[in-house]
Amino acid sequence: MEYLISGFGHVLNPVTLFWIAVGVTLGYVLGALPGLGKATGVAVAIPLTFYLDPVSAIAMLIGIAKGSAAGSAVSAILLNTPGEPSSAPTALDGYPLARQGKAQKALKMGLFASVIGDFVSTLILIGLAAPLASYALLIGPVELCAILLFSLTFIGGLSGNSLTKGLIAGAFGVLFATVGIETETFIPRLTFGLLELDEGISLVPMAIGMLAVAEMIVQAGNMRALDQQSTEMRDGKSREDRVVTGAEWRRCLPVIARGSLIGSAVGILPGLGASVGSFLSYGATQRASRTPEKYGTGMIEGVAAAESADNAVVPASLIPLFALGIPGSVIAAILISALVLHGLTPGPLMFQQQPQKVGDLYAALLCASVILLAIGYAGQRLFALVIRVPLRLIIPGVLFLCCIGAYMETSSVFSIYLMLVFTLIGYFMRKFEYSFVTFLIGFVIGPNLELTFRQSIQLLDGKAANLVHHPISIVFILLTVVTVGLIARGNSRATQRAEARAGMEKPKEEQLHI
Amino acid sequence: MTLATRRGLIAAAMALALGVSGFAPRAAHAEDYPAGPLTMYVGYKAGGQTDLVGRAVAKVLSDQLGVPVNVVNKPGGGGVLAAHELQKAAPDGNTFLFHANSVINTEPFMMKRIDFKPDDFEYAGMITAYQTSLATQKDAPYDDLAGFVAWAKENPGFSFGSLSPTSRMYMEIIAEKEGLDVNIVPLKGGGDMLNALLGNQVALVLSGGIHYKYPDQLKTISALTTFRQPSAPDVKTIEEDGYPLGMDSRTTLILPKGTPREVLEKLSTALKACETDADFKTIVDAADIPIFYFDLDQAKAEMEKSYAKNKEIIEGAGIEPK
Repeated sequence: MEYLISGFGHVLNPVTLFWIAVGVTLGYVLGALPGLGKATGVAVAIPLTFYLDPVSAIAMLIGIAKGSAAGSAVSAILLNTPGEPSSAPTALDGYPLARQGKAQKALKMGLFASVIGDFVSTLILIGLAAPLASYALLIGPVELCAILLFSLTFIGGLSGNSLTKGLIAGAFGVLFATVGIETETFIPRLTFGLLELDEGISLVPMAIGMLAVAEMIVQAGNMRALDQQSTEMRDGKSREDRVVTGAEWRRCLPVIARGSLIGSAVGILPGLGASVGSFLSYGATQRASRTPEKYGTGMIEGVAAAESADNAVVPASLIPLFALGIPGSVIAAILISALVLHGLTPGPLMFQQQPQKVGDLYAALLCASVILLAIGYAGQRLFALVIRVPLRLIIPGVLFLCCIGAYMETSSVFSIYLMLVFTLIGYFMRKFEYSFVTFLIGFVIGPNLELTFRQSIQLLDGKAANLVHHPISIVFILLTVVTVGLIARGNSRATQRAEARAGMEKPKEEQLHI
Repeated sequence: MTLATRRGLIAAAMALALGVSGFAPRAAHAEDYPAGPLTMYVGYKAGGQTDLVGRAVAKVLSDQLGVPVNVVNKPGGGGVLAAHELQKAAPDGNTFLFHANSVINTEPFMMKRIDFKPDDFEYAGMITAYQTSLATQKDAPYDDLAGFVAWAKENPGFSFGSLSPTSRMYMEIIAEKEGLDVNIVPLKGGGDMLNALLGNQVALVLSGGIHYKYPDQLKTISALTTFRQPSAPDVKTIEEDGYPLGMDSRTTLILPKGTPREVLEKLSTALKACETDADFKTIVDAADIPIFYFDLDQAKAEMEKSYAKNKEIIEGAGIEPK
C-alpha cells in the first residue's frame, strides 16, 4: 500500500503523465477509427518504448489497450462499425440509439461504462492479483471446456429474430475457426495448401471485413436515405437525448457492475479475450432483463453491458501476468517484452524484488483510467460531429483505414484479400439477416472449445467417470443442459404461436445445437 | 472526352513511374553496403521471445552499420512464410530474416509443402541458442530422465504437455522405447504451457526455455540440446542419457541465396557486437537466453550439420511430413 502511494508520487509528474496521455489518446483515436485498433497501436508503440523509462513505456502500452477498448465504442455507436470485435455488441443497441438522435447519450454511457469497468477491474488487479491468480490456476482445461460450452448457449439470446439463423451463423463461425494447423496432430485443415492459412484465419482482418467494410457497403446502398435522416435528426433537440438521465443511471449501474465482474473474470482466465467478455455480459444482461425482446432496438443497458465488460478485461488480463508471469492476452504478451526490456521479470518474484516498480505501475494504471475519462469526454464532442458528415465522405476514408488495419498485423497483402472475402460473407449475412454476433461468438469460442476438449480427453484419460474430480466443470455442464432445455422450450412455444399464426413447420433447433 | 484524356494521362504517369523505377540504378555495390535503411523480417508476431531478441539485434546492427534497421513481423507457419518472402527479395543484403534456424533444419521434415535446404540461403551468423528441455514442477519426485522413466512406469496414464510436432516426437520415442503409457495433451503457445505446468495439469512438458524464468516453481530434468545449458549446467543432456536426440536451434541471420560475401562479412561483424553490447545482454539475460555467437562460416557449417542430424532423427522416428 505504501508502495502504491509513493508510486503515485513517481507517476504524477508531467513526463510520465504525458506518456500515459499519449498512450490513451493514441488508443482512443485508433480504437475509434474503424479498421485500426489495438494491434495497430501496439505495433506503432513497441519501437517507441525502447527509448522510454520503464514506467512510462509500460503505462503507454497499457494506455493504448485501455484507450482502444473504450474508443472502439465510438465507431460502433456512430457508424455501426465496431472499432474492435469486442465492441460488436455495443453496436447492436448503440447504433439504433444514434439513429434515434441519442448519439451523445449512447456515447456518454459507453464511456462511463468503459471507465467504471476499467477502474473496478484495475482495483481487482491491485487488491487481489496474487490470490485470484492462484485460483485461476485451478481452472484447468477440463473446467475451461465446460465454461466455454456454457458460454455458447448465449448464442440463443443473441440470435436476433431467428434462433435457427443464429445457430447457422454460429456454426459457420466455428467452421471458419477450424482453418489452420490443428494443435494435436499438426495436420493442416482447410488451408488449400496456402501457407498463409496455416496459423488460421486471423481475427483482425476477418472482423474488419465482416464488421466494418461490409457495413460500409450496406450503408453505401442506403446512402440517400441515411443522409436524409441524418440531416433531419442531427442531435436530439432535448437535453434528455444528450445526457444520461438519473433513471438510466439507476437502470444501468447494476448492469455495469455485472459487466465489470464478468469482464474481470474473463480477463483472468487464460486465452478468452475481450470479445468473449463483452458478448457474455451483453447476453447475460439481455437474459436478466424483463424485456429481452427490446434489445437490439436501442436499449442503453446494452451499451453499458458490452462496454463495461470490454474494458474490464484489459486490466484483469494482467492478473495472471503479474502474479504468475503468464500472459493472458495479446497485450499482456507484448507487455512481457516491454517489462523484461526494462529489467522487470513478470511473476511472483516481481512483487518481492521490485515492489516499488509494481507500485509505480499500479499508480500508472489508475491514472490511465482517469485520463481515459478526461480524454474520452473531450474527444466525444468532436467524434459526435461525425454523424453530420455525409456518408459519401465517410465511406472512402473508412475503407482506406480498413485496408491499412488489415495489412498492418501481418505486413502482407493476403490479409487484405482475407478481409475482402469476409466482406462478401458479411454483406450477404446482413442482407439475409444472419447475426454476425453469433458468427463471431462461434469464431472466438470455437477454437478454444476444441483445444480444451482435446486437452480434457487426454487429461481425463479418456474416461468420463474421471469428471468427478472436476466439480466446477460438472456445475457448468449442468448449467448448459438446463439453459439449452429452457431455450428449446421457450422457442418451441414461440414457434407454436407462430405456427398458429402462419402454419409454419416447426424447426428443430435443439438437434442443431448439439 | 475529358475522361479519356484523364485516363490517358494516368496511364502515361504510371508508365513513367514504372520506367523510372525499372531503370533506377541498383544501389548494390558490396563495398558501400549498407547504402540505405535495411529491412529485417521476423517470422513471429510482435511481442514473442524471438521478436524481442530480434529487435535488440536490430538495434545493435543499426548502431554498428549506421543505418536504420526496420523490423517487419511476417508471422506464419513457424517462419516458413517469412523465409519464402525472403527468397523473393534481391540478394543485396538490404533484406534479411532473423529467425530460429529450425525453419530450415526442422520444418522441411515436418511439413510436406516445404523443401528448404541449407544451400537455399546464405547465413551471416548466429547469436543466441534456445534452451529446449524437459521441464516439470519443482516438487516432482524425479530429477532426471532415468528417474522420470521409473516414475512413469509406475504411473501409467500420466500427462505430457506438447507444444509442437517435435515435442510429440520426443515423448513418442521415449514412450515406445521404455513402454510407457502416456496421454499427450496438446498445448497452444508458451502461456498455455506454463499454465498447464504451474497448475499441475501435466507431469512434464517440452519447453523452449521459457520455464527457466521460474526457478522457484519449475525445474529441468533433461536438456534436449547437444550441449549442457548455461541456465542449468548440472542437468544432463538427453544424449548423455543414451538417446541420440539432441537437436539445437539458434537464432540466425538468414539472407537470400547469392548475397555477396562482403555483405555477409559486414553483417557478421556487426552481429558480433551483440556479444559485448550492454543493452543486448540485459534483454537476453532477463529472458534467460544464452548468447552463442557464430560467424558466417561457423553458421553455415552448423546449418549443414544440424540439417543432416535432424533429418536422421526425425526420419528415424518414422515421422511423415504433413
